[in-house]
Amino acid sequence: MKFSTRYAAVATTAAAALALSACGGAATEGGSGDGASGDTAPIKIGIIADRTGATGDVGTPYNDGMLGYIDWINSKGGIKGHKIDADSNDYAYKVPTAEELYKKYVNDEAVVIQGWGTGDSEALRTKVAADKLPFMSASYAEALTDPKESPYNFVVAPTYSDQMRVALNWIAKDAGGKAEVAVFHNDSPFGLAPVADGQSWVTEKGLNLGYKAYPMPKTPNQVGLLTQAKAQGAKYIVIQNVSSPAAQVAKDIKAQGLDMKIVCLNWCADELFIKTAGADNAEGHVMVQPFAPPSAQKPGHAAIDEYLKSKGSSLADKGLHYAQGWYTMDVMAKGIEKALDAGGELTGEAVKTALESISVDTGGVVGAGTVAFTADSHRGSTGTGIYEVKGGQMVELAANQTPES
Amino acid sequence: MATATGIHHRTYRSELRLRHTKAEYFRLALMLVLLLSAPYVLDKYWLGITNVILISVIGAVGLNILVGFTGQISLGQGGFLAVGAFTSAIISDRAGVPVPISILIAVVMTAAVGAFFGLPALRLKGLYLAIATLASQEIIMFVVRRWEWLTEGKGFLEVKRLQVGGFEIERRMFEVQWYWILLALAILAVVVARNLFRTTLGRSFMAVRDQDIAAEAIGVNITRAKVTAFAVSSGFVGLAGALTAHYTETVTWERFTLDVSVLYLAMIIVGGLGSIAGAVYGAIFMGLLPALLTELVDVLGSSMPALSDQLPALKNAVFGIAIIVFLLVEPRGLDRIWTRMKDYIRFWPFRY
Repeated sequence: MKFSTRYAAVATTAAAALALSACGGAATEGGSGDGASGDTAPIKIGIIADRTGATGDVGTPYNDGMLGYIDWINSKGGIKGHKIDADSNDYAYKVPTAEELYKKYVNDEAVVIQGWGTGDSEALRTKVAADKLPFMSASYAEALTDPKESPYNFVVAPTYSDQMRVALNWIAKDAGGKAEVAVFHNDSPFGLAPVADGQSWVTEKGLNLGYKAYPMPKTPNQVGLLTQAKAQGAKYIVIQNVSSPAAQVAKDIKAQGLDMKIVCLNWCADELFIKTAGADNAEGHVMVQPFAPPSAQKPGHAAIDEYLKSKGSSLADKGLHYAQGWYTMDVMAKGIEKALDAGGELTGEAVKTALESISVDTGGVVGAGTVAFTADSHRGSTGTGIYEVKGGQMVELAANQTPES
Repeated sequence: MATATGIHHRTYRSELRLRHTKAEYFRLALMLVLLLSAPYVLDKYWLGITNVILISVIGAVGLNILVGFTGQISLGQGGFLAVGAFTSAIISDRAGVPVPISILIAVVMTAAVGAFFGLPALRLKGLYLAIATLASQEIIMFVVRRWEWLTEGKGFLEVKRLQVGGFEIERRMFEVQWYWILLALAILAVVVARNLFRTTLGRSFMAVRDQDIAAEAIGVNITRAKVTAFAVSSGFVGLAGALTAHYTETVTWERFTLDVSVLYLAMIIVGGLGSIAGAVYGAIFMGLLPALLTELVDVLGSSMPALSDQLPALKNAVFGIAIIVFLLVEPRGLDRIWTRMKDYIRFWPFRY
């Protein structure tokens, strides 16, 4: 009896040890890619994507765009013979999951990381700096553009703060006098990113605008928030949130018969907003969008459309966020290409150095057309377009606007 | 001793011992070997997961003191973790206090906050208390999100790499060095908690859980026991929170939401309410589940791409199913399953 107890204990622990070592074994197998030492060794890229989370509505086409680009460049033989080996996972807009994925990618020896949200980009920025991994994300928060603070973060588009400044300039001009502005923002670091900068822009430039910010609650409709905005006397509503909640605001404005104009920044300024709200409800609202929509038909759209047509789809179906993901990956790929040109081992550090001296022509899709970084500034572009919804389409009001123009 | 049917004691001393059989000492030795060899066997990714598990062991043990041993249900775990994390991060980075001391202050601070939010427990029980602690969770979340001076308007805190005296964590050895620190603290937490329930205070907690009126009749000061239980439990949770802050080097409120409170409750339910070992098993189970699921989906992903698209949803579903299965099959959790396995072998060929 005594024997059997001990025997059982030994058996159980042995089983546990086996299970543990099996875990370890499996992981090392997965992580044993030897970086980019060989001639045509694949280049490992880790992608942190939101497909099912709070920003999944715009995160999915963005992620598809990246994966599309990778598929496209691999079918053309990769970057200088190196295929891209991308590991893309959904993190559902949860910072801890993003960190978990990031750890996995570091362990798998990824050379660069493509992220997504503001919260996770800011949370990871000290880590990517310590691990020397260039990191791009779909977050255009101002803090990420300063190499002193975030040395390995690269921001391809004008920042949220710049978009907000452009929006406020436009509102001041459109109103032609005193106007009240309500800012509806996502209740997260992403939503809050441009709020304070907008306020100081109003005071700094002496714009004749009232300015008040409201976090958007997760309620089925936004009538409560609109009531507050109405009490403020707001005629303009700047929205820093993704398309679905913004579209709800447009519907509620129509339903309540309010005289308010929405000015969408980047993440709700898209076809999805129009589709979700309905062309009728979206009519007349304004969008500040640094990425040219497919309807603007810039030269840079052609390659994407061609690729998508070969897959039986089209860019018009996929929308502008697809192009956004595509070109973010394109800029990263150009950086990798330049690092490979420079010779030596392909490391995160080499890609960073390469990125700091490149200028990528995006055929008019991103900002004013080119994305360029320097060692002093990781702000890739500054210009942004302003569009108005007319008959269910985004119609360009002004191109290449900067806060100072 | 295990030669006959079960374990018998002839002296009080022998009954009070933490380990009764040779097999248990043998298991301890094996555990030690496993724990000591882990950093040399596991790669960085799995070691990272192990580290997160070690932190949640501390948090789960703390929560089990309150929920499992004292019977005071709490949905405020995430909030208390946040108190620990923010306190230690702010004190060490802004006031320049050495990290061990800032962690200690965080523990005391969280204990105080926990005791304060435990006050409704004097009047409320069961579901009503659950709602009151839910309120504490929301209040703390509100504070860490809206009091801008806490994060200097950034919405999150960056924490410097851990440095104690002349020793600083190296990037390349990050997970390994943290493993030793966290392992030591997790063992300390487990030993303290295990011994707590051999003292008068610990036994008064259990008396309150089993029958509070009877406990009062035999002279347990219920007010004191309940508030102390909240304080002690929150102290452990504060330690886990402070370690989270220094280990992850970023403190954002998003890490301490209600989801986290529920996750910790799930840990102790799966592991076993009212058992220190159960809290450990639960933390391991809940910590490994998502990682193993990710591996599984990685393997199956090529043949079933839909699976990897839905991974987060799948994780939630598996969590839910795991909890339901445990509640149905063995409400007393993994710890009880382990005991039953031992008993089966010990009493064989008899049923009991």
